[in-house]
Amino acid sequence: MFDYLEKQLPKLIMAPTAIVMLVCMYGFIGWTAVLSFTKSRMLPQWEYVGWAQYERLFANPRWHVALDNLLVFTLLFIIIALLLGLMLAILLDRNIRNDGALRTIYLYPMAVSFIVTGTAWKWILNPGLGIEKMVRDLGFTDFEFRWLVDPDMAIYTIVIAAVWQSSGFVMAMFLAGLRGVDDSLIKAAQMDGASTLRTYWHVILPVMRPVFFGAVVILSHIAIKSFDLVQSLTGGGPGYSSDLPATFMYTHAFSRAQMGLGAASAMVMLAGVMAIIVPYLYSELRAKKS
Amino acid sequence: MSASTTSHRLYKMLFITLLLVFALVYLGPLYVMLTTSFKGIEEIRNGNILALPDTLNTSAWSKAWSSACTGGDCYGLAPYFWNSIRIVLPAVFISTVIGALNGYVLSQWRFKGSNFVFGALLFGCFIPFQVILLPMAMLLAWLGLANTVSGLVLVHVIYGVAFTTLFFRNYYVGIPSELVRAARLDGAGFFAIFRHVFLPLSTPIIVVSVIWQFTQIWNDFLFGVVYSGPGTQPITVALNNLVNTTMGGKEYNVDMAAAVIAALPTLVVYLVAGKYFVRGLTAGAVKG
Amino acid sequence: MGSIKIQQLTKSFGDTEVLKGIDLDIKDGEFLILVGPSGCGKSTLMNSIAGLEDVSSGDILIDGNNVTDLSPKERDIAMVFQSYALYPTMSVSRNISFGLEMRKVPKVEIEKTVADVSQLLQIEHLLDRKPSALSGGQRQRVAMGRALARNPRVFLFDEPLSNLDAKLRVEMRSEIKKLHKRLGTTIVYVTHDQVEAMTLADRIAVMKDGQVQQFGTPYEIYNNPANRFVADFMGSPPMNFIECVVLDGKLVIESHGEKFELHIAHGERLKQAGVETVILGIRPEMITEPKPHVEGALVHSIPMQVDVTEPMGPDTIAFGQWNGTEVQARLSPEVGVEAQATGLIKVQVDTSKAVLFDAFSGARLDA
Repeated sequence: MFDYLEKQLPKLIMAPTAIVMLVCMYGFIGWTAVLSFTKSRMLPQWEYVGWAQYERLFANPRWHVALDNLLVFTLLFIIIALLLGLMLAILLDRNIRNDGALRTIYLYPMAVSFIVTGTAWKWILNPGLGIEKMVRDLGFTDFEFRWLVDPDMAIYTIVIAAVWQSSGFVMAMFLAGLRGVDDSLIKAAQMDGASTLRTYWHVILPVMRPVFFGAVVILSHIAIKSFDLVQSLTGGGPGYSSDLPATFMYTHAFSRAQMGLGAASAMVMLAGVMAIIVPYLYSELRAKKS
Repeated sequence: MSASTTSHRLYKMLFITLLLVFALVYLGPLYVMLTTSFKGIEEIRNGNILALPDTLNTSAWSKAWSSACTGGDCYGLAPYFWNSIRIVLPAVFISTVIGALNGYVLSQWRFKGSNFVFGALLFGCFIPFQVILLPMAMLLAWLGLANTVSGLVLVHVIYGVAFTTLFFRNYYVGIPSELVRAARLDGAGFFAIFRHVFLPLSTPIIVVSVIWQFTQIWNDFLFGVVYSGPGTQPITVALNNLVNTTMGGKEYNVDMAAAVIAALPTLVVYLVAGKYFVRGLTAGAVKG
Repeated sequence: MGSIKIQQLTKSFGDTEVLKGIDLDIKDGEFLILVGPSGCGKSTLMNSIAGLEDVSSGDILIDGNNVTDLSPKERDIAMVFQSYALYPTMSVSRNISFGLEMRKVPKVEIEKTVADVSQLLQIEHLLDRKPSALSGGQRQRVAMGRALARNPRVFLFDEPLSNLDAKLRVEMRSEIKKLHKRLGTTIVYVTHDQVEAMTLADRIAVMKDGQVQQFGTPYEIYNNPANRFVADFMGSPPMNFIECVVLDGKLVIESHGEKFELHIAHGERLKQAGVETVILGIRPEMITEPKPHVEGALVHSIPMQVDVTEPMGPDTIAFGQWNGTEVQARLSPEVGVEAQATGLIKVQVDTSKAVLFDAFSGARLDA
């Protein structure tokens, strides 16, 4: 009897986690999905309305602003963070012996909350007292930097803050990748007479492709989930000009008593994340099998 | 390299200069936060964002800690700091323990479907939490845990276990299964093997898991703002409220002091155990 | 007491059948070796005996007791693993005593056992060290000490010497043999090294594809192989397999353009059975330079064109060709030199120990 229990112990240990995951992840996703097909407002109302919420969603100008912003933000964020991270990693690799201090400096922003980041940058980019004033005091009296209150430019402030927070991480990933490049590859290139630039371009960077992909996946994941940063830096404003899907969802589901609509927006967010993660995981699994 | 040594050295100096410039840029916001927090309001209005404070005025700090207004209440950040502590400590402990046992099972005691369970967990690490926000609110209300610290602990444990399990499983996979077989022949059972063989080997990954979880949970805002009520909010929510509450004029120095207070625990953890933190980031995020 | 009876044991992993019906009768105190190529199932069989793997069907009896459903702990078996599997965070002393600790043996008894065992294996000076501070050979001894401390009914050794360098391997081999003589406990030992099998075993079970191909003493296996696989697997350098046409109960060897006849022990039976071709199995040591011998029909003198020689020290292996197949002969070093130089020598072929195999199935024809 005890022997049987002992044999089942591994399964018993995993069971609570498995059940909780089933309910709290997949079950909840299903629940939200179902909710998105109902006309729920303040409270769940289980009346099936088909795709109505999704139609409302995509007819909503604010949602379109959020989607446009997401596109702009994600692209800029990923590209700049990649370039910056790569550049820092390349500069650090082979040039400095004790790079520990520098690496610590580039990475520390990741340790703080996005709320802190947003708060700090909100102050730095403060029109009137922040950078604008500083540059004006230096003599450029006509300098303007009012992005924070400019509906067209607000989204770019989020890019700046997000890049500051996350590029260190990209640097760490690239640095680890660079350090993992087989020395003999580099020596072979040197023997072949390649200059440093060419060595990087033809030999090292191609080997780093998996790191690129990994970084892109993680950065896009961060971008799609961005909520904290927007709330603290711009509050989605001015108006809703710097809204992102995550803040849209929150506002509509909780403040505006539009549960069904909020649920629909959440499902769209999920679809977006899946569109990136699923192919990536699939290709990773295939690579591992071969 | 075939280039001449002087141009080589020039390049190197250029690179180092570039690196240092960037270092200053990265440090910029922290510098601004600190200097602003020690300035008086007048000094801020008239001065330069990059200027050092005239004197080390700590009034903003005491206000941020004990009397600043966060929405309706004006108790400063202190009570919310302790809320965060009360959320973080149990959540980190519980999710680490569960993650360790799960990782142990998934790496050494494979059973039919264990790979599937692991895959499902892994997948769950990637979902945007917006899709579980609403139903979780319902669940907490049903359990009577809405707007409570315990409710937040539960939420963080549930969604943290996926990560901690990932960490421990990937780590334990590296321990040869022959050790388990030897221990079984020696007569050790499931828990005895964990206690005598795996636990002593687990210090590095426990550190990684704890630091990761501590940082994630302390810095969380989404769960905090949705599932807490007045009085039970974590410090991130309180900070956001504080900054967005303007009674009279905006007190930037208080805002900045508050931001530093909120950032301090995770910053200190990072500075003290940074390399484990990095290892946790890359191990948990890159590996599959 | 540690006799083992394995009856009709099968083991499948999913759809793959790894053990296809094993029957073995191991006597108490016997040194049994399981040998075979990778994938033959020997490690799976070993793990099944230990109870680390469940069986799909069949029974395992130790001293007449059916242990098939018992956990490893209850079978009173100790195992030495290929990579030693020492607990890295425990001292040598605790590694040895852990099994006793788990069985709640009194502390005083544990201390005595550890002292005895470490003295026997000459590792007393290592008791406080951790495994990472030990050399490969020392780790091996600690692993053995752990098994000895348990005083089990059966010892299982899973390729314990394959991680050691050649010299250490030879040393440890004789130590294990001495240990067995001294303790008299049943040993089941897995290896892929057939030299180890021949030197250590009381009996050998040669395995292939989940089945026992032959079970017998080293002498039987070597001189009376049950099929071509066993004949080929055991013995280094390996047995020669030459396809020969049967002419009037004698085998035809074509060497250097000429044809020669070989007499064999069961020539008449072969003739009567009407077999036209056979595979002649003859070991290199039966093809030598002309030596003093007892005159008889089974000793022949045949020329051999030598392509390459491999001086081994005590003798030289010569590679030649008969019937279009590569043939290896064992020559004295001097003759070897001559063979390398001239290329054509006369060899003495003794077919008294030769075996015959069916040209298609590889089965023994003359058993």
